[in-house]
Amino acid sequence: MSTQPVSLSRDLTIKQVMRAELGDVDMAVWRSASGVVSAWENRCPHRGMRLSHGFVRGESLACAYHGWHYNCAGACHYIPAHPELAPPKTIKANAYNIAEASGIIWVNATGNVAPIDIPSSTVPVRSIPIACPVESALNGFSKHTHQSLLTQHTQAEIIADTPYVLALTPVGSNSVGVYIAFQHVNDSTTVAHITATDNASMNDVVALSRWANEVRDITEFSAGVSE
Amino acid sequence: MSFTLHDYVLSGNCYKVRLLAQLLEVSYTINPVDFHPGKAHKSPSFLALNPHGTLPVLESGDTVLTDSAAMLVWIAQQHDKQHTWWPINDAECLAMTVQWLGFSSQLTESIGQLRLHTMLNRPADAETLRRQSIRHLRELENHLTEQSIRGQAFLCGKQPTVADIACFAYTALSPDAGLEHTLYPGIRGWLHRIRCLEGFLTMPGIYEAHETRNEHTAAS
Repeated sequence: MSTQPVSLSRDLTIKQVMRAELGDVDMAVWRSASGVVSAWENRCPHRGMRLSHGFVRGESLACAYHGWHYNCAGACHYIPAHPELAPPKTIKANAYNIAEASGIIWVNATGNVAPIDIPSSTVPVRSIPIACPVESALNGFSKHTHQSLLTQHTQAEIIADTPYVLALTPVGSNSVGVYIAFQHVNDSTTVAHITATDNASMNDVVALSRWANEVRDITEFSAGVSE
Repeated sequence: MSFTLHDYVLSGNCYKVRLLAQLLEVSYTINPVDFHPGKAHKSPSFLALNPHGTLPVLESGDTVLTDSAAMLVWIAQQHDKQHTWWPINDAECLAMTVQWLGFSSQLTESIGQLRLHTMLNRPADAETLRRQSIRHLRELENHLTEQSIRGQAFLCGKQPTVADIACFAYTALSPDAGLEHTLYPGIRGWLHRIRCLEGFLTMPGIYEAHETRNEHTAAS
C-alpha cells in the first residue's frame, strides 16, 4: 500500500469524522476541535465498532458504542462506565501515517506518508467517485478536457504515479490549472480529488465541478458501467 | 392549528412531518399505526380515511392530508412567521423549493423502496432500485457541491426550507438500504448542518449530532 489521498481538506471540517477505504483497509478519518487530523483503523479496540460512527469531543474521538475516548495519539484516556479508571496504555487505536498538504488529506496505511507535491496555493473543487479502475479514471480525465476552461491545447501530465496525480495545464497566462489526485478505493471504485489553481473564480469552480460529473459519465459509459 | 399525525416510527415520510413540527415547536398528537407487521394502513377503517392506504396522514378538523410534502407546506405556512421554511416572498427560492419537493418524492420511490426491500424483504427489483438510488444521490451531491461552492448551505439558499426536510429523510436513511454516505462529501456536510439545527429530532437510523453537545469533557 502506498500513500493515497482520502479527502479534500475542505470536506473534513473540525469535529467531523468520516470513513475512508483503501483496498482492504477500512479507516476512520477525523479532525479534532483544534484542527488535528488523524486516520485510524476503523475498529474500536474495545468491541470492534466502526470508529467512523463515533463523534468528536474536543481533542478526542469517542466510540458510538460505549463512549471510550481516544486522544489524537490514539490512546484511550476515558471510559465512561469507569470514570475513575486510568485506562491501561495498551488500549490504543491503530493509527496510520497522515499528512495534510496542498488542500488534500493523504494517508499511508502501511508505511511513511509521502504527499505529492502540488503547487500549494490550490482551490478545492470536489471529490468525485467513479465506478471504474483508477487507470480508466486517469485516462478519462486526461482525454476529456473542459470545453471553455481547458482547451485542446491543455497539457495533461501525470506528475506522480503512486498515487496517480494528473496536472492539466492550459497554455497561456491567467488560465486555470487543474490537479487531480486519484484514490484507489478498490478495482471498481476510484475517487478523483480535484483542486484548481488559485486564480479560479467561483464560477470556474462550479464549471469544473460540472465538468467532473460529465467526465465521470463518459468514463463509466466507455468502461461499460452505468450507475 | 394542532393536528393528529397517523404515524409509523420507522417511516421516513412520517419522520419528515415529526421533524418539521419539532423544529417549529408545533404540538400535535400521534396516532401510531401498525404498518409492520400488522398492515393496519390497509385496513378498511384506515382506507376510509386515506384511500391510498399510505402513511403518514395528517388530520386537523375537516382537513385530511395524505402527502407528506403537502403536510410540510401546511405546517410551515401556519407556523413559520419569518417565511423562510416556505419562502412565499422569494419567487426564485419558492420555485426551487417546489422543485426539490418533487425530487424528494423520487427519493421515496428509489431509496425508500430499496430500504423497504432491504429491511422488510418487500419484493422489488433491487438492482434497478439501487441504480436509481445512486443516480438520485449523485444528482443531490452535484447540486449540494455547487451550492456549497456558492456559499449556500442548503438546497435552495442560505436558509433551510421544507425541501431540505423532505429530501433529508431518505437521504439520511440510505445506509438502511445499503448505500453509505462515504463517497458523498457534499451530502455529508448538508446532513450534518441539518442535524445541527436547533430543535432537531432523531429517529431510528438518524442520530443527533453528539459533537455539538457540551457534555462532560474528560481530561485529555
